Amino acid sequence: MGTAIVVTSGKGGVGKTTSTANVGTALALLGKSVCLIDADIGLRNLDVVMGLENRIIYDIVDVAMGECRLEQALIKDKRFESLSVLPASQTKDKTALQPDRVRQIVTELKQSFDYVIIDCPAGIEHGFRVAVAGADQAIVVTTPETASVRDADRVIGLLETENLRSPKLVINRIRSKMVKSGDMLDIDEIVQVLAIDLLGAVPDDETVIKQNIKGEPTVMRPDSKAAIAYRNIARRILGDSVPLMVLDEQPGLWARVKRLILGKA
Amino acid sequence: MLSVNANTSGKPEGRPPVSVKGVNDGLLFLLDEECEHEVLTAYLRELLFENPSQLLSGPDVKVSVDYGNRNLTAQENLELLQLFLQKDNFCMREWSSNTVARRALFANRNRPERQNIHKGTIRAGQQVYYDGDVVVIGDVNPGGEIIATGDIYVFGRLRGIAHAGARGDTSAIIAAAEFAPLQLRIAGTVTRVPKVDGRVMNTFMEFAYLRDDGMAVDKMHYLFAIRGEKKAKRKRG
Repeated sequence: MGTAIVVTSGKGGVGKTTSTANVGTALALLGKSVCLIDADIGLRNLDVVMGLENRIIYDIVDVAMGECRLEQALIKDKRFESLSVLPASQTKDKTALQPDRVRQIVTELKQSFDYVIIDCPAGIEHGFRVAVAGADQAIVVTTPETASVRDADRVIGLLETENLRSPKLVINRIRSKMVKSGDMLDIDEIVQVLAIDLLGAVPDDETVIKQNIKGEPTVMRPDSKAAIAYRNIARRILGDSVPLMVLDEQPGLWARVKRLILGKA
Repeated sequence: MLSVNANTSGKPEGRPPVSVKGVNDGLLFLLDEECEHEVLTAYLRELLFENPSQLLSGPDVKVSVDYGNRNLTAQENLELLQLFLQKDNFCMREWSSNTVARRALFANRNRPERQNIHKGTIRAGQQVYYDGDVVVIGDVNPGGEIIATGDIYVFGRLRGIAHAGARGDTSAIIAAAEFAPLQLRIAGTVTRVPKVDGRVMNTFMEFAYLRDDGMAVDKMHYLFAIRGEKKAKRKRG
């Protein structure tokens, strides 16, 4: 019996889908069997980020309506044997799914996968309740901005009412330079406000955008910092204790020479 | 506590000239202090003798009448008293401007209200209401709101909105271990907390209270000094 994890944030555009794709892929790379569910009905994009758009025949709404079997809708990722995606529907809207039906689907998937990761739509309405219905755990994604921290806080409160008691926090798109200059909230401040466990901090990285356009998860490029951060998150989900990555950029050669000569930072 | 609205004549005015309160072992009649004598007697006559309710014509009942600051001439006094004496089931106990029954009623009302403890963090979008004082064991996050009819004590960080004395108690206070609220409300007064360097002021162990000129924030160890002053003032007033 596997574990179902919902990735949510409240606010849009903080990196739910990217986090779902990357955490899922990283878990698959670590040898676990993983199924990603796109619960953002009507605005599907998990399949785009994963580069599997052209292979969709059936989607989660078809499964829920009983128009196909669950296995028919699952797309196996050819790059990783153990990774599958259950895509959302683009033509229907969020009301096409009911929480009970999604709970059944998730429970069925948990029989054959180690991890079922659900990509939640933005907002806190019906779509949110549908996405969290079958989940055992939750990951809340936020960025270091007041608005997204506020929404994350609201969502944590709502998750509590849905009986997802101790969600884990992922802080996405951190720019260490801005944090240092005090223009961005720092990790400690966010964790203090939200008062939940930190699962990982992901630096702002251009590779993420490049890889999204290519349709490849960022974790496939282990030379990028974001990829390492996501892999660390996956290891923490498996129970390893991995120290938090140092996000400070290494000073370049010239800066180091300057520091040697002038004797200051 | 039982309270009878005796406005049977269907008069449109807000408050009837006589209000009847049930007290421990009988009835308390509170007579209006301002209205004209004729209005008062007419209303009272109707209330006592034409009211179909069983309440005023049942078995014997102990009656206290309080006319407050009303200036009664000897003639008026007699007229009013006679109205009450005509009721054969009324056993007159008190007739004065400051009855024990009334004092007991209002003392009851000023009794310290309920004390509550809220365990857990109040997050954005959550609004928590308490009757009486409340101690929050946890934080009040930005966007969260704690409302109490009495005092609010936050045993954590106060970063959201706090509304103390929500039913008009101007002596209510808001205290917090870490004090960085978005907005403070005591009774009908609302203030924003000044921002320092673009961030909300953040201090420790402070409390907010109402002064004559608006809301003030002070260190927690002045709490009882200021509280005592306020109570003394309330007694004098």
